[in-house]
Amino acid sequence: MLSLVHSMVTNVFTRQNLYFRAESADYKNNIDTMSRIDPTLKTTFICRTLMSAIFVALIACTPQENIMVAGSTTVLPIISKAAEQFSQTTGISVIVNAGGSGVGINQLAGGKIAIGMISRNITEKEKALYPDATLITHVIGKDAVVPVVSSKIYNAGITALSLKQIGQIYLGKISNWKQLGGPDKDILVVDKEASRGTRHVFMQAILDDKEALAPGADLVLGANNEEQTAISQSDSAIGMLSHAWLNNDVKGLAISLTDGQRIEPNLQTINNGSFPITRNLLLVTNGTPTGHSKEFIDFILSTPGQTIVTESGHVSLHQ
Amino acid sequence: MSVCISKIGKAYALSSMIVSIAISLCIFLVLLIYSWDAIIEQGWSLLTIRWHPATGQFGILSMLYGTSIVTLIALVLAVPIGLLTALYIAEILPDQYRIVIKSILELLAGIPSILYGLIGVAFVSTWLEHWLLLSSGRTILTAGFLLAIMILPTLITLAEDAFHNVPDQYRESACGLGLYRHEIILRCVLPMAKPDIVSAILLALGRALGETMAVMLVIGSIDRIPQPVFNLLMPGQTITSKLGREIEEAAFGSLHFSILIFMGFLLMLTVLIVTIVAHHSLSQTERRYE
Repeated sequence: MLSLVHSMVTNVFTRQNLYFRAESADYKNNIDTMSRIDPTLKTTFICRTLMSAIFVALIACTPQENIMVAGSTTVLPIISKAAEQFSQTTGISVIVNAGGSGVGINQLAGGKIAIGMISRNITEKEKALYPDATLITHVIGKDAVVPVVSSKIYNAGITALSLKQIGQIYLGKISNWKQLGGPDKDILVVDKEASRGTRHVFMQAILDDKEALAPGADLVLGANNEEQTAISQSDSAIGMLSHAWLNNDVKGLAISLTDGQRIEPNLQTINNGSFPITRNLLLVTNGTPTGHSKEFIDFILSTPGQTIVTESGHVSLHQ
Repeated sequence: MSVCISKIGKAYALSSMIVSIAISLCIFLVLLIYSWDAIIEQGWSLLTIRWHPATGQFGILSMLYGTSIVTLIALVLAVPIGLLTALYIAEILPDQYRIVIKSILELLAGIPSILYGLIGVAFVSTWLEHWLLLSSGRTILTAGFLLAIMILPTLITLAEDAFHNVPDQYRESACGLGLYRHEIILRCVLPMAKPDIVSAILLALGRALGETMAVMLVIGSIDRIPQPVFNLLMPGQTITSKLGREIEEAAFGSLHFSILIFMGFLLMLTVLIVTIVAHHSLSQTERRYE
């Protein structure tokens, strides 16, 4: 298309040049000669103008109606799977985008999407920012934020830490695994972008402030998969991940409580609430959902929808 | 009829030009308007290090540092390699290979930057980590290295054009005067191609300044100036990586948003100044050939 417009413009310019040259000499005669020079030029010109007009008309066509969803990368896998099944049965397409909980709330309140995905509560500040929006949350499942380490560190004997110890790591007061009984290696502290749901929940648990600064951090990353990659690439990293994102390279730590009890991160401890860093997975709408959005949320709350929640490694509402 | 078409063509071209100018002006104005809050409310306190939107601290110094150092690394790595490659292609390589080599290099310029970023995360950063025994390969140096690779094709094609555009008659005359090949290149071709080479470097600089995706993935994104200042093996943050990570989560119209836009404005100003300097240097040192 661009090349078409380009050739059109060049076409015009060559004509213009001829025209100017004609003007300086015998004006009228030359104009006549000019049209005799290339009679096809005129038709090509008209053809091209027509073609670009058709193209513009194509762009202006109204898009198909679909549900826009964006936000937390923790909730994302559930919603993408649900969206696939939902559009297969109903024919309504659901477009799912990542970005993090903060992005979900922002875009929802800004009217860019119909449903936001969040993995934390809406903060007071966010409510104050959007006084006109009535944000309504819908719980779709339960999850835990698990402190994770590179498999090398886990295999070297660090399998549980207390919330306080993790807090000290993020504050930069503990900077070597040796201080915690591990190998003599600097800790690579992986932090997350400030408005991410996982970070809010995690920081609230370890430092009592969901927006705490982490002066000990070495890297700041975004989505769950980015964090997962960085931790599995390293041999000395600590980070935070949703329970569903643990694997062989990225090991979840147990939390040791003050009374010496160890709580492993698994579906059972998340379900009975004994794991200390749990949270709800939420969808959020601006006002009571209606139409397609309501149908979609109802689908996720139904039995097939909740099966997806369980399959994605989270705790469903029925459990 | 042809006069009429000619007029339509003229109007079309004119309106295209007006639209382009209006778009650039609009972007400039919108950026200025949205960054106004930041300038008024924060003023000089923007030039501090601490960035913590939750408590209203917005120091952009580490981002400014990151952007300048990453661009500097990219240029230091890319310019010598780029210029020598261009010189080889233009002066030494037989003509039939020239087009082939050049098209391959120009292909590189068309690769989307996210791919460079993924290559950076998957390979470059892990290699650096192993070779230099770092705790993480996501460093300022990695970003600079990746950027250098990204700007190389631009640099090579433009510099090669500059060399190639020097008319052969000058080389022939120099040869006739009994100069060796290296003397012809150093004394004759290089000085003549200089203005175009300068503008090639400046264009590459502009690309390096504005690159977002690749840098964002490999730089580590931490708002900190490394200790000591020239420790390039530490993670950092550039203006673009900061914008890429935070612009979506900053509420539209908030101070946080305004400061992010202000950083974008600074970047645009820099590119603008660079462009003006480039034009200036070109018009000042007149072309020595026609």
